[in-house]
Parts: sequence; structure tokens; C-alpha cells
Amino acid sequence: MIRRLAVGLAAVALVAAAAVGLIRSATPAGRVDPGAAIAAGLRCPACQGESVADSRSPIAASMRQVIADQSAQGRSPAEIRRWFVARYGEEVLAEPPARGPGLLLWLVPAVALLGTGIAAARTLRARPRAGPAPGRRRRSRRPVWWLTAGGLVALVATVAVAADRLAPPVVTPRADPTAVALRLAQDLEGQQRYDAAAQMYREALRERPDDAVRLRLAFALLRAADAAGAERTARDVLDHAPRSPDGLLVLGLAQRTTHPGEAPATLRRFLAVAPTHPAAAEIRRLLDGGAKARTG
Amino acid sequence: MNRRTSRWGRIRPVPATALLVAVAAAALVAARLPGPTDPGPAPAAPALAGATLDGGRFDLAALRGQVVLVNVFASWCGPCRDELPLLAETGRQWSSRGLRVVGLNLRDGPDAVRPLLAQSRAAELTVVPDPDGARSVEWGVRGVPETFLVDRDGRIVAHRPGVVTRQWLDEHLSALLAAP
Repeated sequence: MIRRLAVGLAAVALVAAAAVGLIRSATPAGRVDPGAAIAAGLRCPACQGESVADSRSPIAASMRQVIADQSAQGRSPAEIRRWFVARYGEEVLAEPPARGPGLLLWLVPAVALLGTGIAAARTLRARPRAGPAPGRRRRSRRPVWWLTAGGLVALVATVAVAADRLAPPVVTPRADPTAVALRLAQDLEGQQRYDAAAQMYREALRERPDDAVRLRLAFALLRAADAAGAERTARDVLDHAPRSPDGLLVLGLAQRTTHPGEAPATLRRFLAVAPTHPAAAEIRRLLDGGAKARTG
Repeated sequence: MNRRTSRWGRIRPVPATALLVAVAAAALVAARLPGPTDPGPAPAAPALAGATLDGGRFDLAALRGQVVLVNVFASWCGPCRDELPLLAETGRQWSSRGLRVVGLNLRDGPDAVRPLLAQSRAAELTVVPDPDGARSVEWGVRGVPETFLVDRDGRIVAHRPGVVTRQWLDEHLSALLAAP
């Protein structure tokens, strides 16, 4: 009786451990930002093999925005996923529901476990009906079953514990609309579409008003031939950080168009603040050239 | 020895049979799945309403009875810039027969779009800005350019990912615009 109780308890423990392992491995993103987890679970429809969380494409950025909006409205992750499936089809899910061949991945291990369990139960239960001689042989098999069961529990427990440590690389990409806007702006700069890049930087700046983004905007405006805009933006940076080398550089370059008389002084301040700046040599040439032109 | 073999013989078929059943069941499920594209009836167009680039108001629902060509575009997308003149021309050509061409401007800015419309001779085009892309996602847009054709009953009857051609437009529009 006690033995049966022990076997029953062991079986319950095994099933519970398996269930915990399954739940924890199936929902690795449970503890991180739910929006990022949803984005990581959706395929970017404009890309190959990239999730919505990873992709730099504008449509993926838009999808992240929609996820953020819907999460803010209190929709559950399942509802949000259904919303995307209704528009993009089931292929938008990184892990489509278990159907067809995918079902085998779930069914085969489950059936194998069930089969092994039944086989184990039969072997263990067969003992009282057997005679003494074969009983000894069968008893020798019992440790093997217990070892197997113990091994399974250990395996499931290891997976349950290790799942958390293995999961973070999958879920770390954060759905950050600002980062996407910045990447998009850099791409646009690469394509020499400085107006559109400046627009993207402005968008990023609304979300993240920091000087690094302001400086990028100022450079983009300068390249887009909007010297007045570049000067204004550079001055915003210099208000916070009067010795910002990039701020002085953009201001000086913009002033060459807006206030040519003030430009050399600003650029000299830039050289004094950052004599080893990558642009310093070019600025020195520019200033020398200007000086020669005036004297010559 | 014989006895052991027969007992093993009794144990083994259980998981083996279960596995076979699982494989057969999964194969059956897989075989019964429909193909990847099952078009079905034309889906209703999602809502599209909001302020336009020129300060007006647009509502797709108010255009029942007209055929609407919704083109998702952006100034930072080269192929979009290329197809804009054709779309604007198509709008002018078929407007008397009930066609309305609408641009859904994905993640862009008015400063970049206005000059583009002027250059493309598309200044009269109705443009609905979609600065965060949420409207485009609502339409299931995968990339730009992408064009949807909405019939007089508000159903999406044709969809073209990528650049539209004159042939595609003629093919789909002539049938829709023939019947008032």
C-alpha cells in the first residue's frame, strides 16, 4: 500500500515537473515587457527570417507601434496576436499553432512518454503474479525503470530551470520605436535623403529629447541645405552643453551660410575644444583657405 | 528465455502502436489542411478616415458607391515616387466614372511629401498621412508601395504588392468602372 502510494506520488511529481517545464519553456517571455514578447513572436512580413522585434523595416516599426498602442488599451497578448493573424494570416506568427506536420512535434513525444509510462506500469505491476524464479529476473529490471523515471524527472527539471537562462537572447530585442526611427533616419542619410532623415530624427526627438539625437538632426539639416534649421538645432544643444564639439562644428558650418561673419570664430572655438576631432583637419583647411582668400 | 521474449513482445507494441496512431493522425490532419492561399469572398476594406495632407477630411466609408484605389506610399521609397504620376493620371482619367485615388502616406512627413506630389503632377491627390504606420498595419500592408482596389460596396477586390502597372490598373478598373 505504502509502495503504491509512493509510486503514485512519484508519478504525480513527474507529471507536475513535466507540466512546469512545458509551461516555462513555452512562455519564455513571461517576465519581460509583454509588448517586446509579442513583437518577438511575430514575423516581420516585409523581411526574411526576422521578427517584428528585430526588423529595421518601417512596417515592422509600425507593427511595434500598433502592439504598444493595443497593449496600452489593455488588450491581452492573445487578442493582439489574433488581430495580426486576421490581417496578415497565420504565417505572421513565429510559432504557428500546432497543426499538420507541426503537430507531430507535440504529439510524438507525448505519445512516446505515454507509451513508456504504460510499459513501465505493466512491468512493475506484473511482479505479484509471477513465480519466484522469474520474479527475481523481473526485480532486476525495476531499478532500470526507476532510473529511467528519475532521469526523465531530472531532464524535465533541468529544462525547466535552464529554459530561463536560454531564453533571454531570444527576447532581449526591445520594441523601441525611437531606436527604429533612428535606424531608419541613418538609412535615409545613407541614401542621401536628408529631408526625410531629418523628419525621422524629429520623430525620434519627440520620444527621446536628447542631445545626441539633436546633433544628428542638425547634421541632417545641414546636409539638406537647411542651414537655419541646423543652426537652431545646434544652438539648442549648445544651450545645454556649451563645449559640445559637434554642436560647435554644426553651428560653425551652418553660420557659413546664415551668418558668414561669425562662422570663423565658432569654428576656431570648435578647434580649441576638440583639436583631435576627425573633422578638425578639414576645418583647419577651411579656415586657412578663408584667411588666404581674405588676404589674397 | 522464450518467456522473456514473449513478455517483451507484449510490452513493445504499446508505444509502437501509439506512435503509429500519432503519425497517422498527424498525417491526416496535415492532408486535410487547406492550401496556403484560399481566397474566399472579397474582404471588407478596413476603416480609413482622418485628416488629409491639405487639411481636409477623408472617410472611406463615405465613398460607398465609388471605386477607391488606396495606394500606400512614402517619399523615401523610390518605386513609390516612380508610380505616383501614373496613379495621379489614372485618377484624372477615371474620376468621371467614379474612381477616387487616395494615398496612404506611410511614416513620412508633410515637408517631404508636398514637393514629391508637386514633382509627380499629383498635387490633387488625396493624401492621408500615416505617421506611425498604424493605419497601414490595419490594412495588412507588408511594404511600400502597395495598392488596394476597393469596389463600390467597400470590399477589397484586388491587391497589388509592389509597383502598379498601367496594364494592372486597366485590367481591374475597366471591369469595376463599367458597372455604375
